[in-house]
Amino acid sequence: MKLLTHNFLSSHVKGVGPRGFPLRLQASEVRIMPVEFNPDFVARMIPKVEWAALVEAANTLSLGEVPTEPIQGYEQNEDFLRTMHHILLEVEVMEGTLQCPESGRVFPITRGIPNMLLSDEQTEA
Amino acid sequence: MLKKLKSAERLFLLIKKQFPFNVSSVNKGKICNEMQRLINDDPESWLNTISIWKNLLELDAKKKRLSQRDANLLKRKMGENDTVITKKLKAEQMQKTQENREYQLEKQAEEETLAQGNFLTSREKLQLEECQNEAAEAAGTPSQNDLTFRVSCRCSGAVAKTFSAQEVGRIIGIALMKQFGWKADLRDPDVEIFIHLNDIYSVVGIPVFRAPLASRAYIRTAGLRSTVAWAMASVAEIKAGALVLDPMCGLGTILLEAAKEWPDAHYVGADVSDAQLRGARDNLKAAGLEDKIALLQVSVVELPLPSESVDVIISDIPFGKKFKLGKDIKSILREMERVLHAGGTVVLLLSEAHCRSLTDGEESSIPSNSEGRRTDEPGAEKCLIPEGETGTSETVPPSLEASNQECLPKIPPFGSLMPVECYKVSLGKTDAFIYKYKKSHSSGL
Repeated sequence: MKLLTHNFLSSHVKGVGPRGFPLRLQASEVRIMPVEFNPDFVARMIPKVEWAALVEAANTLSLGEVPTEPIQGYEQNEDFLRTMHHILLEVEVMEGTLQCPESGRVFPITRGIPNMLLSDEQTEA
Repeated sequence: MLKKLKSAERLFLLIKKQFPFNVSSVNKGKICNEMQRLINDDPESWLNTISIWKNLLELDAKKKRLSQRDANLLKRKMGENDTVITKKLKAEQMQKTQENREYQLEKQAEEETLAQGNFLTSREKLQLEECQNEAAEAAGTPSQNDLTFRVSCRCSGAVAKTFSAQEVGRIIGIALMKQFGWKADLRDPDVEIFIHLNDIYSVVGIPVFRAPLASRAYIRTAGLRSTVAWAMASVAEIKAGALVLDPMCGLGTILLEAAKEWPDAHYVGADVSDAQLRGARDNLKAAGLEDKIALLQVSVVELPLPSESVDVIISDIPFGKKFKLGKDIKSILREMERVLHAGGTVVLLLSEAHCRSLTDGEESSIPSNSEGRRTDEPGAEKCLIPEGETGTSETVPPSLEASNQECLPKIPPFGSLMPVECYKVSLGKTDAFIYKYKKSHSSGL
């Protein structure tokens, strides 16, 4: 699970609503996967990012220095875009957990895929 | 190049097309003769088509070898006129211009946008009439005598009552052997001859490629057929930077087609099944698209996404034949509506049963705003055959047009989801409907 994806997720536990964001991230296995740098794409994602959540998640993963907010004129700033590209797209949480901040419910992340099924809903293909 | 046609199932070179055989006469022998005439009346057109086909394949092979070389050396420009033949339609229209100078041919493909929303059959037929004439001069007669062939026959309607597909195949096969001296090879022929006989037309053609265009090099295990998946993605208006969700992604076919064609968006796939997600992950890896598509194990009616956070939703709603649909369709639509941005698009593949359950019990409330409220009647016309602009259009028997008018169910708006377009598609054994909704902005405009 990439941090860009994590940034979009919020808890769907009943009754939690907007207090269910962001999900607290814990990781036991993290991989860095190189991804082709597409500055245009990164620039477009920046306005959609919830920064506080991103910073919190990045810090949990000890990613080092993370910008706390978008720089003025970020669209042209390649250094900035590259940094964000790395944080948002190149860090993969392979094993870990996501926790709903309100209800405390924990969801596992297995082989990069978070399992957020609320009921016992797995179907066999 | 032709392989870039993403929503065409197969591409054929047309040899002959004519009105259906008159089977009212009981005399089998007479019809037999008519079939043989398909070949014997006009052997020229057969030979021309074969040489065009050979050129196409040689070019394809050469292109692969000359991957490093300058593209100027070997180019091809071909005239293509897409004609719609059968009733069940789905594909994108291609328009190309044509020039033919011996073997210096330039090929270009321009995709026409779906603004007109014209869709074609699942089998596209390629017509190269002008090309044939010039090819006859330029071709220099490659040796036509050592071809092996196999006849594939499909019969339905009145003809099928008199002849079986095998019989027709044999008649044509023998006629071909007599006329051209080709040998039949059932296992691994050079050329496959396709014959379709039914109540609407009799067509003979050769497929351009061995494998159908629909089978993609980048998809290991396909779920939904890739042509329909691609078509759904193209109707969905995926803009750069969009968040695109498939909440019942299965093996990820739709997301793969979309991410391949429109790479500048963030794609998220979700499914409840372990096995499906595993398959999806394999597919993503095989296609090299793991970076573009995120996977989640979640339920479509309990999406862990904030409201109004998604730009596009594309989904193939399980029909209940292969996979069970745990929740009813209305709950699913409601959750999709919740997470979708105002102005966002939902494109769904629905079975007839789904359409019915959406139509029953929903009052067709007339929305106060007229924005985005196009009824799906234009969709009916969109099923129809477009007239070729190069003048080589096919005349459509009137029965075809009439039957299409009734084919589309009228689905009312669902909450703030306004129906925009609807297309009927064939999935082989069954039919389905591609339904596009747009979420209107909150009441009060």
